[in-house]
Amino acid sequence: MELTAQAIFTGVLMGGFYGLVAVGLSLVFGTMKVINLAHGELVLLAAYIAYAVESQTGINPLLAMPIAMVIVVGVSLLTFYLTNGIAKDKELNSLILTFGLGIVLTNGLLMVFSADIYSTQTAWFMEGVVVADTLFSMRGEIVAFVVGVCALGALYWWLNHTWHGRAIRSVSSNREAAKLMGMNPTKAELWSWGVAGVLATLAGVMLYVISVIHPPIGHGLTIKAFIITVLAGMGSIPGVLVGALMIGVIEGLTTTFFQSSLAGLSSMALFLLVLLIMPSGLFGKKAGH
Amino acid sequence: MNIKIFLLALAVMYLGVPLLLGDNNYLIGMIASALIIAGIAVAWALLGNLGGMVSFGHAAFFGVGAYTSAILTMDYGVPVFVALVLGGIGASLSSVFMMPALRLRGPYFALAILAYAEIFKILATEATGLTGGGGGLLSIPSLPVFAGIDFGTKLGGYIVILNIVTLMVITYFFIRRSSYGLALKAMHDSELATRIVGVPATYLKIVMLVVSAFMTGAVGAFNAHYINFLEPDYAFSGTWTVFPIVAAIFGGYRTLSGPVIGALFIYLVDQLVFKNLLPQGHQLILGVMLTGMIVLSPSGLLPIITNLFTRTKGKQHA
Repeated sequence: MELTAQAIFTGVLMGGFYGLVAVGLSLVFGTMKVINLAHGELVLLAAYIAYAVESQTGINPLLAMPIAMVIVVGVSLLTFYLTNGIAKDKELNSLILTFGLGIVLTNGLLMVFSADIYSTQTAWFMEGVVVADTLFSMRGEIVAFVVGVCALGALYWWLNHTWHGRAIRSVSSNREAAKLMGMNPTKAELWSWGVAGVLATLAGVMLYVISVIHPPIGHGLTIKAFIITVLAGMGSIPGVLVGALMIGVIEGLTTTFFQSSLAGLSSMALFLLVLLIMPSGLFGKKAGH
Repeated sequence: MNIKIFLLALAVMYLGVPLLLGDNNYLIGMIASALIIAGIAVAWALLGNLGGMVSFGHAAFFGVGAYTSAILTMDYGVPVFVALVLGGIGASLSSVFMMPALRLRGPYFALAILAYAEIFKILATEATGLTGGGGGLLSIPSLPVFAGIDFGTKLGGYIVILNIVTLMVITYFFIRRSSYGLALKAMHDSELATRIVGVPATYLKIVMLVVSAFMTGAVGAFNAHYINFLEPDYAFSGTWTVFPIVAAIFGGYRTLSGPVIGALFIYLVDQLVFKNLLPQGHQLILGVMLTGMIVLSPSGLLPIITNLFTRTKGKQHA
């Protein structure tokens, strides 16, 4: 019982972080119908910038966020311009294009930072925290969870209550109608890529403080983000949070009761199951697919 | 493709390459490896061009084919050449699990296949009794001596993989020319319209998936006997997906020869040039090429060249 509670607790914390990783991909997918297969690599890029800043200056990696944000948002916008230029068969060609960008980023990181494994040197993140007398976690995991949930909440508010956010939602629900209402769809898409870059930065810095980084993991992050997006259904922020928590908890339980190598298998199986039974996701509109 | 050019290319590959480079094991091995990529690229392009399905999971078929063939020869004493075919059949059988994904459109299918490939890799690692797990399978039998020729040498292996790829290209050619090919082409333009006139679209897609899986599996099986070693991270490596996609896109995946030429070019340039320039992370250039091709010419480099060629020719005639 205690073990189960601990597994679920860890899973929920990881879920908050996964939601942060996934929501950028989900946002771009929703507005532009482009799956950015380099999203996980963007997250990893931010993590490596946090590492570089920390190892060079010795300051808290959270303070590396502004510089990481400038670079990652820049790369994100560059990806937007490249995908926007595709004339034919955009859905599939953008998939191949961003797949290629992912390879570029992974190998670029490999060349600059070598294949070594890094994790934060700031001990504050590694200290154990006990919640409700029995549940144990690392402080970094709590920070990542709080940042994740807050970022998702802020994004939800932004999409519903600000002009630019509403513009993005209108373009994602009906591009042509939005155009007729005087929206500039390209501008809305630009915004969504920019915001996705910001979210990827947050996710990357959190990744660095809770886990170890090395170049090949970006691909796995992309897959996880895509799985959560599919679970969520297109364009649903609460769906992303619920999907991410589900993945986190399922992985936590699998790791505790079976073995950690099967954690990936259980989330993949859940993904395929949802994709085949409910292609529009748990929270998607029925006509969405 | 022009039949004369095809025959010329065959002559070069069957006679020119062995006669010129037969003694150079390093280069022959390199070209054989390029042909392995070419084989997967042809299978990938068949699914992508005829079936309209972009796959990010051909590594799954490659790995299943490799393990099927390796296990059959090692544990059950099946002759290697029979096992190559059975490896292909094994991969086809594994594609049955992917068939539900055929309901999914475009990017969803691509990513569902990616998920399958991950699952297969995890299963291969965990099923230690069957696959030897992460420790891998050692001393997989080499290609045997057959009709007085030792196919276990580098040159012998080269001839075998060349036969496999040639057969695949010919099969592709005939499928494309058949009524299946016509129906698939129509399906590419409008699946709905094709369904309405009574073409069993799903059935055709299933056939393409099975054929593509068979081809990739046979190539994977060949590779297992060629290098005599397997482990899950190698057999199901993303490399078997990335290289063929880059090759097919680069050469033009809607053409018959594009994937093969693309694979020979990309692999040899990567191994002989890029690897020396950038010992670590040389795949970076592959990514740049892939991105560049999609931005500049999504239908591949080959169509541009032929276009250029025919245009100048046309002008001369005029």
